[in-house]
This record gives sequence, C-alpha cells and structure tokens, in this order.
Amino acid sequence: MAVTATEPAARPSTKAPTPRSGAAAVTAGLVLLVAALAVVDIAQGTAAVGPSEVFKALTGRADPDDASVVIASRLPRMTAGLLVGAALGMAGAVLQAVSRNVLASPDTLAVNAGSYLALGLAGATGLSLPMIASSGVAFLGGLAAAAVVLGLSGLGTGTVRLVLAGTALMLGLNSMTEGLLLLFPEQTEGLYQWNQGSIAQNGFDGVLQMLPIALVGLVGLMLTARRVDALALGDDAARGLGVPVRATRVTVVVLAALLSAAAVTLAGPIGFVGLCAPALVRPLARRFRGFARSRTSMPAAALTGMALVLGSDVLLRWLITDDLSVAVPTGVVTSLVGAVFLVAMALRLRDTAGSGAPDRLRIPSRAVFLATLAVLVTVLVGLVIAAVLVGDSKLLLGDVVNWAQGRAGRTVSFVLDTRVPRVLAALSAGAALALAGTLVQAVTRNPLAEPSVLGVTGGGALGAVILVTTAPVAGTWGVAGAAFAGSGLTAVLVFGLAARGGFQQNRLVLVGIGVAAATTALISLLIVLTDPFNATKALTWLSGSTYGRTMPDIAPVALALAVGIVVAVVRRTELDLVSLDEDTPRLLGLRLGPGRLGFLLLSVVLSSTAVACAGTIAFVGLVAPHAARALVGRRHARVVPVALLLGAVLVCTADLIGRTVIAPAQLGAGLMTAVIGTPYFLYLLVRSRR
Amino acid sequence: MRRLLLTAAATTAAALTLAACGTTEPAADKSEKKASEAITLKDGKGTEVKLDGPATKVVATEWNVVESLVSLGVDPVGVADVKGYKTWDSAVPLKNDPKDIGTRGEPSMDTVASLAPDLIVATTDLPPAAVKQLREVAPVLAVTSADGTGQIEQMLENVDLIAKATGTTDKAESLREGFEAKVAEGKKALTDAGLAGEQIAFADGYVASNQVSVRPYTATSLIGEVNEAVGLTNAWKVKGDEAYGLGTTDVEGLTALPKDVHFAYIGNEDDPSATPFTGALAKNSVWKSLPFVKAGDVHRLDDGIWMFGGPGSMEAYIDALVGALTK
Repeated sequence: MAVTATEPAARPSTKAPTPRSGAAAVTAGLVLLVAALAVVDIAQGTAAVGPSEVFKALTGRADPDDASVVIASRLPRMTAGLLVGAALGMAGAVLQAVSRNVLASPDTLAVNAGSYLALGLAGATGLSLPMIASSGVAFLGGLAAAAVVLGLSGLGTGTVRLVLAGTALMLGLNSMTEGLLLLFPEQTEGLYQWNQGSIAQNGFDGVLQMLPIALVGLVGLMLTARRVDALALGDDAARGLGVPVRATRVTVVVLAALLSAAAVTLAGPIGFVGLCAPALVRPLARRFRGFARSRTSMPAAALTGMALVLGSDVLLRWLITDDLSVAVPTGVVTSLVGAVFLVAMALRLRDTAGSGAPDRLRIPSRAVFLATLAVLVTVLVGLVIAAVLVGDSKLLLGDVVNWAQGRAGRTVSFVLDTRVPRVLAALSAGAALALAGTLVQAVTRNPLAEPSVLGVTGGGALGAVILVTTAPVAGTWGVAGAAFAGSGLTAVLVFGLAARGGFQQNRLVLVGIGVAAATTALISLLIVLTDPFNATKALTWLSGSTYGRTMPDIAPVALALAVGIVVAVVRRTELDLVSLDEDTPRLLGLRLGPGRLGFLLLSVVLSSTAVACAGTIAFVGLVAPHAARALVGRRHARVVPVALLLGAVLVCTADLIGRTVIAPAQLGAGLMTAVIGTPYFLYLLVRSRR
Repeated sequence: MRRLLLTAAATTAAALTLAACGTTEPAADKSEKKASEAITLKDGKGTEVKLDGPATKVVATEWNVVESLVSLGVDPVGVADVKGYKTWDSAVPLKNDPKDIGTRGEPSMDTVASLAPDLIVATTDLPPAAVKQLREVAPVLAVTSADGTGQIEQMLENVDLIAKATGTTDKAESLREGFEAKVAEGKKALTDAGLAGEQIAFADGYVASNQVSVRPYTATSLIGEVNEAVGLTNAWKVKGDEAYGLGTTDVEGLTALPKDVHFAYIGNEDDPSATPFTGALAKNSVWKSLPFVKAGDVHRLDDGIWMFGGPGSMEAYIDALVGALTK
C-alpha cells in the first residue's frame, strides 16, 4: 500500500532543455488537430447535411433547413464536445497535480458517479429540473463523492489506495443508481444510455448555460496554476514559499468538481478523459520545458481532452452507420480508450512491492474464535429460517415440514420450490465470493482487493450478456457457461499482463481495474447496439439477482465451493505464509509463483461460478475476509470459516431484504450488498488511515 | 458483549421456531381435480399447454395480454405493474382491482403462487427461467410478443389463443370483426377526406438531460401496420428492430422525412420526459424548420393508447389518428 508512484508535474528534465518555441509549436499543433476534428464532426450526422452543405451554411449561402441543422444540432454538439473535453482534461490535470497522483481524475475520484446518482435521484422523484438546477444537483453530488474519496484516501499517500477508494465508492453509488433505474423505469427512461455519456445537444441552450460555469472553473484554475506548481514541490516546500496548502487544495478540488459537474450535466459522464488527457501531456513536459509549468501544461491538457472527445465522436460516427450511431454514446469509446491507458500505465508503473504494515490486530484467543463461530452459525440458521418463511406470502414452519415430506399443498409447495433454491443460491454465492476474496487478498497482500476489482466478475458478466443479447433463448446452463468463459478469459488477460515480475500486487490491481472498466463499457456497447429495449433485462441480470434460480443452477457453485474449502483447509499454512510478506516464504524454500497462481485460479473458478449463479455481487469478497480478520485474527485456519459464514450471511440478508421490502417488486441482492457494503468499506478506509 | 449476542441470537432463533410452527395451508393428502373438457394449445414457443377446462383465474405478466384479457371479458386476478398499466393503457381500462404481481420483467413467484391461478398468460419476452418456474404454479401460455413480419396478424392470433384458453372464442370473433370494421371505417373516413395514400410518421421520444431521442415506429411495427391498413403510407426510412419494428434517431434524423408527411405521436401527461415534441423541442430550430412542423401537421394523439397493445388500443389509435388528420 505504500506505493507512491507520484510523479511531480515539474520534474526537472535531465536532458538538455529545449527552447520555449517547442512548447508553442506543440500547442499550435494541438489547436490545429482540434480544429480539424471539429470540422469533421460538423459534417457528420443523421441529416443529409454533408461537408459542402456545412460550408455553404457557414458562409451563409445554404438553404434555411440545412443551416438550421448546422446551427441547432451540429454546432452545439461540436461546442459541447470542446467544452466537455476541456473541462475534463483540465479537471484531471489539476486533480493529479494537487493529489500528486497520476491516477486521479473525475472518474477515479467517483465525481462522475456522485453526479449521476444525484441526477438519478432527482429523476426518480419526478423532479423536472431546469438545466442550471440539475447542474447544481450534479455539482453537489460530485463534490460530495470527491470529498469522501480524497478525505478517506489521503493526499499523496498512494496510487492504489486512491483508485480503490474511488472505484469502490463508484461501484456503490452506481449500484444505487441502477436500483433507481430498475425501480422507476419510466421516470428514468434514457438515463441508462445517458450514463454512458453523449455529447449530442438539443440546441445551444445547454451549452450556453454551462459555458459560464465552465469558464469560472477554467479561469479559476488558471489563476491557481502558480500555487499548484508550488504544491508539486511538496507541502513543506510550498508552505516555505508562502503558499496556503490547504486552501489551495480545497479551491482546486471545488473548481475541478464544478468543471466535471458542468461536463456531466451537459453530456453525461464521459469516461476517462480526465485520466488520459493529462497522461498524454505528461511525456511532453519531459521533452519540452515550456510544459513544465501548470500555466502551459493545463491548457495543453484541455486541448488534448477536446481532441479525445471529438476524436471519439468522429470515430464512432465514422465506424457505425448513421442511425445506430445515435444510440451509441461517445463515452463508451472514451471509456475503452481510457481502460487501455490505465492498463498501459499500470504496466509501466514502478512497483516497489512494499506491502503495507500488516494490520495491527490483537490475536484473539481460541475461546473468542469458537464463540464467534457459534454466534455466526446461530445467526445463519435463524436467517435461513427467516429467508425460507418470509416473502410475499408468509409461511410457517409447519408448511416447511409438510413440504419436506412432500405433503404440502399446491401454493406452499410452489412457493418453497422457488424460494428454497433462491436462499441456497444466495448462501453458496456469498460463501464462494467470500472465499475467493480471502484467497485474492492473501495472494495480493492487498486488503482492499477483490475479484470484482480485478475484473474477473466483470468478464463473467460480459460473457453472459453477450449470450443473453445474441441468443435470447439461451438456457441457464448456457449463461453459466458463457459467464465462466468470460471470467476465465479476463483472468488470463489480467494475470497474464501482471505476471511480469511475479504478480506484483499493485500492478495486478491496477490492470484489473482497467480491465473491469473496459468490460463495463463493452457491456453498455453491446446492450445499446443489439437491443436498446433490452437494457432492463441485462441490468436485472447484472444487478446480481437470485431471481428464477433452480436447484441445477446452484450445482456448479456448490461444487466449486466444496473444492475451494478443501484446498483452503489443506493449504492453510501456505496461505498464511503467502499473505505475510515477500521474503519469509522464500527463506522457507517455498516457490511463490506457482502457489500464488494456484490460489488465484481457484478464486477465479469460485467467483465465476458465483457470477453464473447470482450475477455480479460486489463487496462481499472485499468485506467478508476483512471483517473475519478483524474478528478472529490473521490465521487462515480461523479466517476461512468465519469469512465463509459472513459471506453467506451477508448475501442471504441482502437477498431477503431485496425480495421483501418493496414486494412484489424486487431488487437484486447485488444492489443490496453494495448498499450495505459501501458504508462498511468507507469505515475500513477510515480505520486503516495512517 | 459476545455472550449477550449469543444469547440474543439463540433466543431469536428459538422464538422464531416456536412462533412459526403451524401451517398456512392444510396438508394436501389427496388431489381434488375435477374433470371437465380439457383444452390443449400450442403457444408462441411451440410449447404444448394443457388445461383442464376454460381458465377463469388468470394472471398476466405483460400489458398487451392484460389488455386482450380485459377485452375478452376475462378480468385478470394478477397483473404486473398495475400502476404502469393504468398510466399507459387507459384505452382498455381494468374493470376489477387485480393484485400487483411485481415488475413486468421479474414478476414475483410468491405472489403469483398465492393467487393460485388456473392460467398464466405471458409473452416470449419473459426470461425462460421465469417461465420454467411459473409452469410449476399453473399452465403458462407464452404468446409471441411481437413479430415484425406480421404484427396485426400476430396480435389477432394472440387474442384467439388467449380466447381458446379462457373459453371466450365468441368474444374473440366479435373483437376481430370489430377491429376489421374499425379499420374499414377509418380507411373510408380518410379516403373521404382525400387523405388516402398520404405519408404518415408516428414516433414517440424521450428527453434525458439536454438530449432528445426519437423512436420511429417503422412499417414493421404494430402502429406502422395499422397505418398501412387504414390506407396511409409509412414515411420512415429508418430500419426497425426485428420484433417490434422500432428504430432510433435524433432530431436531425427527422429532416429525412418527406416534406408533406403527417407527424403523429403519443406522450404521457404524467411523464414530462416522455413528451419531447411539445416540451424540449418547442424551441429547437431544426424542429421548427421541419416542413411538417411549419405546416402545423403535428398531431398529439390521446394519452393511454398502448402502442404495443391489442385490438382495443389499436381501435382507439385509429379513432384518434383519423380524428386528428380529418379535423
């Protein structure tokens, strides 16, 4: 955890300094590129208004209909693209500078997710807000999310910690928004597609209303540029120069949130531009001295952002035929580009492989362990009884007895025939995810890692959605197989990329997050392209649900769980050693590579079967092992059983709540675990802050 | 603390166990099936559906089959998303107060089972896993949700199928005749008004943030086929999806419509985001410069006509369309 892959923006160049004119030439080149893209973008669209009509319209010689298309549709879209790109590029650049973290951006700080949830809430409650008010709502949501992430992860304390905090919060917030989408499909119509980010505009109104806000942000940031440069030297040096460190940080984060909120209100969350644009400018700063100062590098990042957004839009409209391109959001393309970037950066990241100090946990006595186990077993038994009896129709134990003896009446036997598999699915999926999380955390020695962070769950979901969208009649076994294949391929990709240097922990996690983002973008692309009216169906599946599960669906996960438990019990000592540090196992003559690979493979099997059985359920793999360690200490002989029980209890509770609270409608267990898991995760971060 | 937790958990479990003894339903030791004339049908997926007799207690998971049931005089005991049905399909209002069985995508198995229906009418859009489970409760008739190669025929076929299962074939016959008469009546009214062969574009749309999506109902949609049946020509060049015949476009895409087209849409009073043509687009200069908008040839039809409904909705559509065009 102690990796500080911080790269001061003003790192002194070792090469001979190039003249200032280099920076000017590069900037001029960027301006030309953006201008060229803007012209191409204006000539694209669903109306038959091509380059020649656009030229005529711009010179005032076109017929009024073509002119109105250019003025009310093409120009606003192009301007929105420029504005959004500049806002996000600039926001990303300053966020990276003040947090001294190359991975800070509106996405990784959950600013976009916060804004999206705020807008989703407004939509679901039926509020029909004017544009300015909704941007205010988005601003508050985004600022709150950024404050939480930055506040909890600390500034300049480590790349991985920040990204994990941001990603986890994003996951939780997006789950809540997805819940809203499922519950209020009519009120939030179009919000799902909008979530992917699209710069299309209905006239100039939106652009004109957001322009002042964006200008305040951009100008404000340019004014703080000198102070931001000072911050890059370190807090103490900055203080020595008379720069108010705290005030500068707060100002910059507020202005950056303002910029992202303007961008989100205008075009939805356009993914990863804030991450990529500064990353593209950074190498320039090493070559051209002119870019070493924020005052020149920030506009360069803004220009790069514009080029990225417009370039993605142009690419999309060029690749996909006219009518469909309306349905495919620009943000999907930028997300895919961004994911590739994240992975590339992770591979280049110097990994110090320094594990954080092991949590200073008291070592509880055997009696405590046994008592915890007893309490958990009792809770689980009570919960299972409750889960079987409570539902839309309440049952009594006598009904269950009748059912077990095969003497129940039609209604009772049907209710139990469908309810018991759901309870079992929740139990086994929860236990499997908890075990998978325990293994991943032991191997990566990263207490904040879990299969969904590594992209394994996302890959499974992608596999399943590919099948669901291409073959509507796919059976449950088909879906399970597709999920398994998807998880497997993703895991091979992630572990393969991270294998260089023996699965160093931070590289593995960052590659995983990149791949997870790519799978999410691809899922959106697939749903929108193949069947825009099927979004609810896929969302339902993705939200982690036990709906419609039958006994055969549970078989794979039960089998994997049995194997997993046996392996974990037999090799508990090895797990203890692997999770300790890099050197001890070597001293003991243990080969780390193969052992780690084996545990990782097992966790892939566990999590993909869980995905196949109950969809994507996040947080369980993260929370359960952590809570188990806090309760009974670090030894895996104790952690494994406690984590298994906790996982089962968590998912079963979530399933029970999701099924009953808003009955007869229902929410997926995955959404409920995210709602329960996010606060707990934040608590973990607070506690582990050093 | 731990001891307290332990005691609490144990007590809760014990209390649950004690309180929950007993049954909600007597043990079924013998089955009581009455033998009347059995019905065997083939549904939209080719699955054989066997009924002991005409079904009277019917649960429906999709709004179009709910509408067909109501039109046939069978009041369903369970309906998915009752509130949504009332908002979007007031052309054929519910006559009773059916139990809400949850969402259309994930109807609650528990609630359906507690209604103990004789028949569940679903569509082929319901996930196979759900259909499989519902079959345990009662026979499931899964009608084809939509078919781009013949929407009207499919709609009437579905009504016939549901009628056979509920013993209301007489009513289905009169529904079909009523629908055909309405089509003829609409066609005559349009011809009399000199509108035969005119171009029509029907759409709905929604607004999210500052973006407007328009959804064209192409010639292969149900509305599209009804338009042709009453003697109009569909103007959309956009390609629709295979089942429902729905396309996607934006405001710019509307410039591809012919100049003399009649534009019609259905919105929803309770949902401002579903009615962009009067709201978000009112000030859009592309929209304002469209020839049919300038000519005032844009017609908002009555709310509550379900665009994917049955004969009842389509009759209401013909009335509304003819009324708007001949006014």
